Amino acid sequence: MKEEVQILLIEDNSSDAEMTINALKQNGLANRLLHLKDGAAGIDYIFGEGKYAGRQVEDTPKVILLDLKMPKVNGLEVLKKIRADERTKRIPVVILTSSKEDPDILKCYDLGANSYVVKPVEFDEFRKIVSELGLYWMIVNQQAL
Amino acid sequence: MERKESGEKLKFADNLFINDSTDVQKGEPSLNRLLLSGIAVQRNDKEYIQYLANLVESSDDAIISKSLEGIIKSWNKGSEKMFGYTAEQAIGRHISMIIPKGYSHDEKDIINKINNDETIAHFETVRVKKNGEQLYVSLSISPIKDQAGNIIGTSKIARDITSLKKSENELIIANNELAFQNGEKEKRAAELFVANKELVFQNGEKENRAAELIVANNELAFQNGEKEKRAAELILANIELVFQSEEKEKRAAELIVANNELAFKNEEKEKRAAELIVANKELVFENREKEKRATELIIACNELAFQNRENEKQKAELIKINGELKISGEQVKEINQELESFSYSVSHDLRAPIRAIHGYSRMLKENFETQLDPEANRLMNKIMNNAKKMGQLIDDLLNFSRIGRKELVKVSVNMDSMVANLCYEFKNEKGDQNIEFHIGELMAAEADNTTIRHVWLNLISNAIKYSGLKEKSVIKIGSEINGQEIVYYIKDNGAGFDMRYADKLFGVFQRLHSDEEFEGTGVGLALVQRIITKHGGRIWAEAVVDEGATFYFTLKTIPS
Repeated sequence: MKEEVQILLIEDNSSDAEMTINALKQNGLANRLLHLKDGAAGIDYIFGEGKYAGRQVEDTPKVILLDLKMPKVNGLEVLKKIRADERTKRIPVVILTSSKEDPDILKCYDLGANSYVVKPVEFDEFRKIVSELGLYWMIVNQQAL
Repeated sequence: MERKESGEKLKFADNLFINDSTDVQKGEPSLNRLLLSGIAVQRNDKEYIQYLANLVESSDDAIISKSLEGIIKSWNKGSEKMFGYTAEQAIGRHISMIIPKGYSHDEKDIINKINNDETIAHFETVRVKKNGEQLYVSLSISPIKDQAGNIIGTSKIARDITSLKKSENELIIANNELAFQNGEKEKRAAELFVANKELVFQNGEKENRAAELIVANNELAFQNGEKEKRAAELILANIELVFQSEEKEKRAAELIVANNELAFKNEEKEKRAAELIVANKELVFENREKEKRATELIIACNELAFQNRENEKQKAELIKINGELKISGEQVKEINQELESFSYSVSHDLRAPIRAIHGYSRMLKENFETQLDPEANRLMNKIMNNAKKMGQLIDDLLNFSRIGRKELVKVSVNMDSMVANLCYEFKNEKGDQNIEFHIGELMAAEADNTTIRHVWLNLISNAIKYSGLKEKSVIKIGSEINGQEIVYYIKDNGAGFDMRYADKLFGVFQRLHSDEEFEGTGVGLALVQRIITKHGGRIWAEAVVDEGATFYFTLKTIPS
């Protein structure tokens, strides 16, 4: 049986991605994590298109960690597509962003984001938040079936 | 009549001769013959004479005999009736007694004719009665002869023809009248003829006129039709008018009531008018006073007019300046938008590398801690601290810029509970520091809840921080009313500051203490001042070095 992806991380900044993965690893949550570097790749994976053609859309991840500011297809567009599709609309999506000044915070909630998290500068704090997030969505939260 | 006295008469009668030609009305043919035959008989026959006398006596005509001298010799009953004299009154008198004046020549003519032996028949003339009345008579006169044939007198037979004459006269008058009337009628006929022609002409005219009238009649008939239609309409209109009339009568009745009311009010007004006259007099007096005052005011007015002109000049300048300000207002909006996107860029793009510096340093330190000597570890810590401070600086700056742009939403803010909650949180957070709060009465103010909370957060945080080196932090918080504003204060027993540099206290990035003494970015108080100023309040501080500082700020009271 093929191993399912449980956490899908869509993040263009490789440093942020590495630190996020580092934080999740400490809690043993990074084993079934897939990191995609932009929104376009994210959509291909989620909907079984392009490079991921043939993938079963119904095999949804337990949570998607989504950065907003990305080249090509930004986070908002990815979120909109996920929520518009009957097969994917119930996947929990956590927005990870660098800024609380982001004018798109309200839009994210309107489009059905489950959480909106500002990444702290201080690494200890950052790691703490990401760990809690992982634990919460992977273990505490009861998924829609 | 006695026979004896008529001896002469008899004698006369003896001689009596009756003319054959005498027209005796009542005479019968037998009598005439008798008379005629009598001439032939003996004259002395007394019986015969008596018969003759009776004959005369019984005649209705007057039969009179007289002498040639005119003396009346016999006077029968007919004479009596006709002239009114008895035989006794008449016999012996002159015949002129019955002849009216103007007719005396009649008698002479008669006598002349008789003398010539002529008979006068049907001589019409006028005689007079005893009572003076005149009457027309027809006379037949014959001579009386004696036996010798000498004329000795005359016999006269008179018949009254007055009524005949009268009728005759009346006929003449009537004739004349008729003749006159005839003439008149002929004139009238002539006039009628003229009038007839006139009528014929007029008839022609009338026929013309009639033709015209027929045309006019047709026209009138048409107009009549129109008028009947109109009449029908008028009937409807009349009905409407009748209805309106009734309405108006009702209204009139109401008006009468209203009139009475007005009459009453009029009386009231007259009373009032009387009162007003009194009041008017008073006003006249006051007016004079006011005129005096007005004169004074005119002087003042001129002064104001001058000042007004000055003001207008200034106003014109202000309008010009305002226009310029409007333009810059739009520019400010533009700049603000730029600033917003700039803030976003700064917060997003600057934070990411700093987070990476801090993150990688931390990972390096963790993963290679045993391989690094103490100096390397110290340097790693320096890198991480600076990265952390850089992140703090960026957050503070962004806060400062965001709150400056934020629209205030003013509500009634309960300061008591806001400050109490903050103090409670701080005490929990800084569990190792000995802090003593003294919170007095804090009046509610009209303010923006979020930003005012930030003010208290910053000021309490400062008070705790700068008194952190003391054995015990003593912080007093309270408020006082000062006219329309509330003055809030927070006093600590901390490091204080040098009052000479008080003006630098609220500047951005301005600090009165070193980072080694007290950490800080120099943004906190700048932000606090910005918030209070936006509320229309003031902020200031008093301090003594090493004894503590007191910060004051004012807000407006809640309008009651």
